[in-house]
Amino acid sequence: MKKTFAVLAVAALSALALTGCGGSKETLKIYNAGEYIDTSLISKFEKENDCKIVYETFDSNETMYTKIMSGETYDILVPSDYMIERLIKEDKLEKLDWSKISNKENLNPDTMGQVYDPDNTYSVPYFYGTVGILYDTTVVDEADLKDGWNLLRNEKYKGNLYMYDSERDSFMIALEALGYSMNTTDRSEIDQAYNWLIEQRDTMDPIYAGDDMIDNMIAGNKALAVVYSGDGAYIMAENENLDFFEPEEGTNTWYDAMVIMKGSEHVDLAHKFINFMLDNENAAKNSAFVGYTSPVTAAYEKMQEEDYKGIDAYVPNINNENNEVFRYQDAETKQYYADLWTKVKAY
Amino acid sequence: MRKKHGHRKLGAGLYIALCFLFLYLPILVTMIFSFNSSKSLTKFEGFSLMWYERLFSDSEIMEAVYVSLSVALLATLISTILGTITAIGLSKSRKLLKEVIVNINNVPIMNPDIVTAIGLMILFSSMKIEKGYLTMLLAHIAFCTPYVITSVYPKVRSLDPSIANAAMDLGATPFQALTKVILPMIKEGIFAGVLLAFTMSFDDFVISYFVTGNGVKNISIIVYNMTKRTNPTINALSTIVIVVIMVTLVIVNVVPAINKKKNKKKMALELENMNHI
Amino acid sequence: MKHYVKLVRPYLIWSVLMIVIPLILIVIYSVTTGGNTLVNIQFTLSNFKKFAEPIYLQVFMKSLQIGVITVLFCFLFGYILAYKICKFSERAQSFMILLVTIPMWINTLLRTYAWMSILSDNGIVNTILTKLGLDPMTFMYTDFAVIVGMVSDFLPFMVIPIYTSLSKIDHSLIEAAHDLGANNVQTFFKVTFKLSLPGVVNGIMMTFLLSVSTFVIPKLLGGGQYMLIGNLIETQFISVGNWNFGSAISMILAVVILIAITIMRRMDPDDAEED
Repeated sequence: MKKTFAVLAVAALSALALTGCGGSKETLKIYNAGEYIDTSLISKFEKENDCKIVYETFDSNETMYTKIMSGETYDILVPSDYMIERLIKEDKLEKLDWSKISNKENLNPDTMGQVYDPDNTYSVPYFYGTVGILYDTTVVDEADLKDGWNLLRNEKYKGNLYMYDSERDSFMIALEALGYSMNTTDRSEIDQAYNWLIEQRDTMDPIYAGDDMIDNMIAGNKALAVVYSGDGAYIMAENENLDFFEPEEGTNTWYDAMVIMKGSEHVDLAHKFINFMLDNENAAKNSAFVGYTSPVTAAYEKMQEEDYKGIDAYVPNINNENNEVFRYQDAETKQYYADLWTKVKAY
Repeated sequence: MRKKHGHRKLGAGLYIALCFLFLYLPILVTMIFSFNSSKSLTKFEGFSLMWYERLFSDSEIMEAVYVSLSVALLATLISTILGTITAIGLSKSRKLLKEVIVNINNVPIMNPDIVTAIGLMILFSSMKIEKGYLTMLLAHIAFCTPYVITSVYPKVRSLDPSIANAAMDLGATPFQALTKVILPMIKEGIFAGVLLAFTMSFDDFVISYFVTGNGVKNISIIVYNMTKRTNPTINALSTIVIVVIMVTLVIVNVVPAINKKKNKKKMALELENMNHI
Repeated sequence: MKHYVKLVRPYLIWSVLMIVIPLILIVIYSVTTGGNTLVNIQFTLSNFKKFAEPIYLQVFMKSLQIGVITVLFCFLFGYILAYKICKFSERAQSFMILLVTIPMWINTLLRTYAWMSILSDNGIVNTILTKLGLDPMTFMYTDFAVIVGMVSDFLPFMVIPIYTSLSKIDHSLIEAAHDLGANNVQTFFKVTFKLSLPGVVNGIMMTFLLSVSTFVIPKLLGGGQYMLIGNLIETQFISVGNWNFGSAISMILAVVILIAITIMRRMDPDDAEED
């Protein structure tokens, strides 16, 4: 018995020793979406500032939120617009000190002052874009594009399309096609959108795919797919038969932005990191790697001329008046959408 | 007669080969595409070692390999010890206690991983334990031990209860009776438990994902976060894992073959002794 | 034989801490409302009532159905595999059993990705079909793909316990049956199969649990519309953030599985003895 306990004790101790490591260097904890940074920038920042970065990734804003609610703390988060709005409401974010962000002039003013954070008190844009339809030019008739979102209900392409497996983006499409706001809380409008999705599902046989569709579109498996503009740019760079379009009825404009979490003990370093990411050269490098559109003007222009030349998905049209940014939904509305979405998908 | 027997063995071999093909097809594909010269996972465009170069220069993945391995080894070790002594104790416990523990033990096996994960996550946060390597290890022990118990307990139960008594009557201490008599007799069960625990731990994604923090990641978490842009670096890693397992397998199979002769003699002697008693 | 009773104690404490308390926390969530913090909670049964809506029951039935099909295939292939393996020499047996376990060491997600590249529209199977002059077929996002993925993933969990039971069988029993005039089929069902039941029950239980609760495989191979109970729970916890409803579904799933296990236990002669 003693022996067993000795083994247990040794094992437990060795485990503790492993967690106890780490030097005296200042540590910055960053929580970002997966595959959403050129990791060489992390080491570059560590070298320049003699610090250590603990870099973690999440697969959705909701996962990130769940993790934060469980008591996990980070210095920098990179959530999307509606999640930022929620975090601001719940007092989870630290106010930014813009005087410490000398690269703020590099930012494209069009991407600033959005509804989720009107004065950019808390957030600095990281990437932005829209949602649109990626189509195979060898299969899809250009004339059909005039249908806007209803292209997704054109029976010529039955069984030949990917919807994005995301509740908000799918309802956005239905609501825009019907001419309603994508942020509506009106139950009858939501119900109509639900019916639109149900009818589309029954007549079109779409696949509700996740990010595996990226590989499939590169391989040319289907003719149509709902994608984020950034993913569209990445896919188009790999498959030249594809083109991207944003329906006139309006689409979702989205922003992912850097914020500092309340209670961060490394506010100075966090500001330095934000400033670092706004550097023209760093932003260009990051944008080239990820494929998403940079809010840093110089990087944006450079990419348009070099890596993503001729790829219109890299240049999302955020100036369409019909476009909207997702707003924070209260728990009840969210539940209502979520239940309907489950019904759309499970049949 | 003999000919028929040969036919049957051929049939068995063929069936086994087909089953293995089914089990190994995805692994084979993974291995082949680790040498692909492009990013595609469906079209092989040429041979290259670029993904291996990427793998070894990627400190994030290398760190995850270390975490996966060390957590799996420690969790297997601890849960095997814990599970084995529990299974032995269990067979001698009162009926009520036995039932209580067996039922509690079934909970992590029965529950979907995600529920176990959420439960542990809430537990760790309410106890204010900082999430990281330690919480991951604790969680792995928590879900591995039940598997060890389920594989060891039936073995213990099928033991003749008088065996340990006989050993003690002959002057062995309870500890000696445990290590010299009981453990050797249930070693197949323990071995099965070790295998299960290690594989469960090494392969786990959901629970690790929820109970980890502070940048501690295992291989599964890295793979899951890669879903956006699958890339063959991870295929390269799996290929290495497979090769390592194959090599270990050869060693494991060659060593017992040498020892076997000795063991047979020993067993014969022991049997003789038992007959004398 | 009371010497070893104390050995249970460490695990008793451990399991209360790491299994019972988290479970209680989940039960608390399932019968309350008030969001994801346990600050201002209220007792309610609405989470359970909600589950009675047709759509959720449908998801539940589909999960059971897919689970049963997966278990059936695992059992069919797994039993024959374990049985055939037992016909070989001891060394060959242990080698083959190790071969069965190796795939479990390779990340599930990765093996699922591999199935995707095998089965996708432009995948390996279809490339071969086209080369042979046949029409390509759609495998991805169908029941077929999901079941192939699950069977391939869970088969080892069926083979190993069955093999363990089969290899324990005393050959003299089978010979005795033959001597008493039983033919091969009779011997198999009356002796071999009966004696391997504990392993079969174990294997069925494990594969059933895994296939009913998995969410990664249906998500990747079945597409987003492939909603099983595991996916439903995952969605509630992760994207909807309704831990209360998620907990309620998990409780229901746990109870159903408990019932299934009790029924299966009855079939295990070893267990029946005890009752």
